[in-house]
Amino acid sequence: MQWNRKDLLELYDLSAEEIELILDTAAEFKKVSQRRVKKVPALRGKTVVNFFVEPSTRTRVSFELAEQRLSADIINVQTQASSLLKGESLLDTIKNIEALRVDLVVMRHSAPGAQAFIARHLNCGIINAGDGAHGHPTQALLDIFTIREKLGAVKGLNVTIIGDILHSRVARSNLWGLLKLGANVTLAGPSTLVPREFESVGVKVCHNLEDAVADADVVNMLRIQHERQTIGFFPSTGEYSRFYGLKAETLKKMKPSVLVMHPGPINRDVELDSDVADGDKSVILEQVTNGLAVRMAVLYLVAGCVKK
Amino acid sequence: MHKLLIGAEEIPEIIRAVAQKIVDAGFAGDCVLVGIQQDGVPLSEKIADAIAGIAGERPLLAKLDISMYRDDIGKMRRLPLIRETEIPFDINDRELILVDDVLSSGRTIRAALDAITDYGRPALIRLAVLIDRGNPEYPIRADFVGRRIELPADRRVAVRFAPDDAPGVYDEPWIERHPETKE
Repeated sequence: MQWNRKDLLELYDLSAEEIELILDTAAEFKKVSQRRVKKVPALRGKTVVNFFVEPSTRTRVSFELAEQRLSADIINVQTQASSLLKGESLLDTIKNIEALRVDLVVMRHSAPGAQAFIARHLNCGIINAGDGAHGHPTQALLDIFTIREKLGAVKGLNVTIIGDILHSRVARSNLWGLLKLGANVTLAGPSTLVPREFESVGVKVCHNLEDAVADADVVNMLRIQHERQTIGFFPSTGEYSRFYGLKAETLKKMKPSVLVMHPGPINRDVELDSDVADGDKSVILEQVTNGLAVRMAVLYLVAGCVKK
Repeated sequence: MHKLLIGAEEIPEIIRAVAQKIVDAGFAGDCVLVGIQQDGVPLSEKIADAIAGIAGERPLLAKLDISMYRDDIGKMRRLPLIRETEIPFDINDRELILVDDVLSSGRTIRAALDAITDYGRPALIRLAVLIDRGNPEYPIRADFVGRRIELPADRRVAVRFAPDDAPGVYDEPWIERHPETKE
């Protein structure tokens, strides 16, 4: 198996073998963070630009630390300070950045497909750190890494993703990755946020929480994205929480080995009870730790395919 | 186009010779053999067995992958796969012997020295190789050598251990089995 891509745009594009290769590579990078010296010289002399045209804290921090641990040089471009505000087109902005001879651009943008568009015009590598509701491949990879590390394999597992699926790039990237690796995926939440159309790609859609989690090996609780709720998809947060929030009583009826995941940031006591978020089934903080390893692996693999 | 240089039947004898040199230099059960991925790992196990046969005590084993320490990422035609690093004990103040199948340019050993010292500060480090092909690009020499072979720079010495892979030491072009290593 060889990695041969200068960009990571969406898990939909990857084969099961390519996904496994990233996960195997991440397992070795995870060990680096457990050593006395937490840094390797793999990307020494390479320059990485973190270009975030949409707010992000955890993903940006995780990428930045991953880049530091690979010994890359780093530039952070923030929207508020960028010339996009002066009317420059996105492609012009990125081409100007590339003209400084950078090797990789890690990019978040609110427009689905923005990274794929940019990647066609650039020689440097592009890593998608989130494009609208379309994809967030490194988040899905870290979720799948965590599942594989905890439960051994992904094939045949029942994974239920609960919440605002309609607006969720995390759900989309997860379902492509999980389906490729042979998991059974169930999407659950109110019908306004979990349309039946998703069934056409081979996942189950369920509008009742208890049915959706009964056989689950993994439940991934998504954040209710208040910033994307411009029209009322449900009557109130309280009602959402009552029907779709994961509570300690529900957890007791689930498999004893179940993993509770959340991509963060958590709305405590909305989608996830505090008891559950901090309980022994929760792997939420391990997801964050694994995110670093997965991003180091992706940066390393992609950088190896950027030709100068 | 590959040519057999050393037949499979001779390899155990060369391994024993390397083990004997290591024991004669005063190392045995208290040293650590660090196999460099990929082919240094099976070789380190075989040398450890041979040392156990000679000295009655078996050295500890570790595995080291040097991919993250290469200085040619992005220059290779293909990226090497990262394989397992497993150093299951504290290497501070221990005596280490790096093990690789072939010493060629010395660049792998340069990377291995950088990698291993990120895990601690060993008391000393030595180098054991099955084949020394004698065209160093860096000032690096092996301490324990099984066999010296001279070949032109455009040829590669390949050591194969796996029984299903026609074991032996071969003279072959660079591109044949390791297309990732040279343009």
